[in-house]
Amino acid sequence: MKISLFATCIVDMFQTNVGKATVELLEHLGCEVIFPNGQICCGQPAYNSGYVKDAKEAMKNMITAFDDAEYVVCPSGSCAYMFREYEKVFADDRQWAARAKRLAEKTYELTQFIVDVLGITDVGASFNGKVTYHMSCHMTRLLGVKSAPLTLLENVKGLTYTELPNKTTCCGFGGTFSVKMTPISEQMVDEKVQHIIETGAKYIVGADEGCLMNIRGRAERLGAHVQVLHIAEILNSRNAEVHV
Amino acid sequence: MKGTIQNRESFIRQLSSRLQRSAAPKHVERPQWGYTPQHKTLQNLSQDELLAVLQKQCTRINTNCIVTSSADLATTMEKVITDNGGGPIMAWQDERFDAYGLTSLFTQTLPEKQIELHTWDPAVGRENIALVEKANIGITISDITLAESGTAVLFSNPNHGRTVSFLPTKSIILIPKSSIVPRMTQAAMQIRERLQNGETLASCINFISGPSNSADIEMILVVGVHGPMYMTYIIIDDL
Amino acid sequence: MPMKVGDEPFNNRVGEGIQNTFMRSAVSGAQDRLEKNRQLAVEELSNWEEWRSLGEEIRQHVLANLDYYLTQLSDQVAARGGHVFFAASAEDARAYIANVAKEKQAKKIVKSKSMVTEEIDLNHYLEKHVGCSVVETDLGEYILQLDDDLPSHIVAPALHRKKEQVQESFQRHHQYEGSERPEELTKHARKMLRDDYLTADIGITGCNFAVAETGSVCIVTNEGNADLSTALPKTQITVMGMERLVPTFEELEVLVNMLTRSAVGQKLPSYVTVLSGPRQEGDVDGPEEFHLVIVDNGRSEILGSEFQSILQCIRCGACANICPVYRHVGGHSYGSIYSGPIGAVLSPLLGGYDEYKELPFASTLCGACTDVCPVKIPLHELLHKHRQTIVEKEGRAPISERFLMSIFGMGSSSSGMYKFGSKVASSALKPLTKGDHISKGVGPLKNWTDIREFPAPKKERFRDWFDNRQKGDH
Repeated sequence: MKISLFATCIVDMFQTNVGKATVELLEHLGCEVIFPNGQICCGQPAYNSGYVKDAKEAMKNMITAFDDAEYVVCPSGSCAYMFREYEKVFADDRQWAARAKRLAEKTYELTQFIVDVLGITDVGASFNGKVTYHMSCHMTRLLGVKSAPLTLLENVKGLTYTELPNKTTCCGFGGTFSVKMTPISEQMVDEKVQHIIETGAKYIVGADEGCLMNIRGRAERLGAHVQVLHIAEILNSRNAEVHV
Repeated sequence: MKGTIQNRESFIRQLSSRLQRSAAPKHVERPQWGYTPQHKTLQNLSQDELLAVLQKQCTRINTNCIVTSSADLATTMEKVITDNGGGPIMAWQDERFDAYGLTSLFTQTLPEKQIELHTWDPAVGRENIALVEKANIGITISDITLAESGTAVLFSNPNHGRTVSFLPTKSIILIPKSSIVPRMTQAAMQIRERLQNGETLASCINFISGPSNSADIEMILVVGVHGPMYMTYIIIDDL
Repeated sequence: MPMKVGDEPFNNRVGEGIQNTFMRSAVSGAQDRLEKNRQLAVEELSNWEEWRSLGEEIRQHVLANLDYYLTQLSDQVAARGGHVFFAASAEDARAYIANVAKEKQAKKIVKSKSMVTEEIDLNHYLEKHVGCSVVETDLGEYILQLDDDLPSHIVAPALHRKKEQVQESFQRHHQYEGSERPEELTKHARKMLRDDYLTADIGITGCNFAVAETGSVCIVTNEGNADLSTALPKTQITVMGMERLVPTFEELEVLVNMLTRSAVGQKLPSYVTVLSGPRQEGDVDGPEEFHLVIVDNGRSEILGSEFQSILQCIRCGACANICPVYRHVGGHSYGSIYSGPIGAVLSPLLGGYDEYKELPFASTLCGACTDVCPVKIPLHELLHKHRQTIVEKEGRAPISERFLMSIFGMGSSSSGMYKFGSKVASSALKPLTKGDHISKGVGPLKNWTDIREFPAPKKERFRDWFDNRQKGDH
């Protein structure tokens, strides 16, 4: 199966290891991975801040970049959802509506793709350690992917899963919210980090690099002894420990 | 008596214009709703099963629920009254008390025991309020009873003062087992049916589920705020 | 703006909210409990999504036919001998109610909890223009009124108050000598209010739902205060937001059930009271005169707009009970009697962007509110619509942000610009970088690094790695 990887700008610039793990994981599962070079950003930061016109330019670029793709797979629930949202954004745009709809229909978040499209629930990964999982808002509620990541984690050999209290509560990232409303964001991410610490898990895992960057950044600042990992890194781990 | 309506025309015109039409429609058909989950809730339960649902719900709403046979009703009622500290009592004026065999309790047994009982009497007007305000117990009857929520439905009329179920410290509601329906859905339908059959709508319909309560101070539940502090349902097995 | 709470700018209000540790622990405790109760109550129904669809359908149908149903409602109320007043503005509503009060030579008015009367600031107006006392009878509102404080939650207005503060208020105003135990405080309020009910000339209530077919108003309480406020005084005035109605008893039933399950997790509250007109001939209690005041006050401007779905709201407060922002800043931060997500959408519509332009941005658009809304209002989408309106139609965004976003637009739509920018990012940010972190950012990065570490951009971007790998370099 040929899939076009939508890596996201955060992964491209900051979390390259997540991109690498995603590619290796998909290849391990028998996919051929293509990286359409024209891709930049889905437009979410501008769109969510109310700059819909500015965001549309970014969106058109993405629609063009992924026009030929058979499946689009993205290691971020929020960015994948943004592609789904294009259908609505361009609904009244005669020139772009059909292409936007096509893109929306063929886009999947990584774990959703593995479970729903590939029909795989055990990726053959092994990982030693106690792990807790944060359910990102857009992936859980807007994209509606709730069980896929947990199903996949359940089948990782050696992994001990412990539930995060208030696991679906927002971590306080919210894109530009994190810098526009920093004092509120701080309270939210503090409570999230507190809950993570309470679980006693060594690893906090998520499927959205935006949220993870927020949680990681705060956990590091607070000196919390917890490692923040993307789910692709766990699922791509065939050794006892992950190396990042 | 006919009431009045003021400022309607311009107000409604503004709404119609926002809804992009020149005037309000003359008639609107209520649609067939796409979903009707309310009818499926507690569907197909026997009267005994509904009673069990009601009893269980009473444990969750601080309500004492006693089931009695018609024959034992007077004895049960007397005990409940005594347990609740006796009189003064205010009861609705209702022929059903007689039909349930409570007349001798109300007119003989209680007075003999120095338990004061008053019956709501429209002829004496506001005097009723003075009496009900001082009453320890108010006694009313449920016309329709909702199993799911543990709710008694009381209809006001000249003989059924609204305040009898609110002003006394304790409330006793008689519930004929035959009046139990699954939930508010059936009550709403019954009320509409009665209206369509030409009955007048009571000026006050109370759906009462347990005693008055509040959690307004630090979310701590306190039972008994403005209305009754104690609630007893006496269920009469009339089937 | 009457619905406005306080004069502090948004950031100060938020700062005060965050500093208020009691309020915050009260709010988070209440949220956890109310949300858990809500979940249990909706799970009991097993088909909650069907209920939500039904609730949404009913509300949308009513809004689409609001002119018809309000006509029907007013006809029915009048047929039962009630008086209906349509108030286009808060001022109209206040003036009418004040006139009734003057006519009745009212000395005392008892009032049961109503958001719309808060919105039109009725109490102060009546006290000033009629000279009567207005006593709030809902326990929470009663407590707030003693100190002229304002509600911080739609359903639990005094959520931000400690029991010791309540005790202190009672001491100051009533020479109360009891303890701070809620039972004892409540008993005191019961005693005080009993007398008020019996001596009041007028009872004022809000309206959870009106029933168009029968001209009825339905009021929902756990305390029974609405019942006493309407059963004892000779005149009843009910004030309703114009959208708060249903076609018949059958829809009333559905929405009352959804309201109380969503608000506090109850199947039904202790009292659901349906009042139709004044007392009937021969009735001893209940009002001799009944007035229904139907308030527009900006709502009709929402009707027919892209924000119409906010009028579906049944004021359950479930959105506030799950909102992670409300959790940390509390109700008063919203600067409006309407707090939480519903407040962040509604306040700018009723009160204008001048006062409330920050509210739509005080959200992560996490969508939790939308998920719990019993009538499926897409709250987070409406917040987003506000943002778009503020930025694009109103042009109210800061210039620096506009500039940044246009750069973003260019950078993320032109491959060349992005490739260049992202490639040089690593070296451009080098002076700020320590190891693989940035701890002290400048410009837009400063707010981020005020509280968190920021990752340094990688020298080799993912796309470079992928390219090289394709070429066989890895």
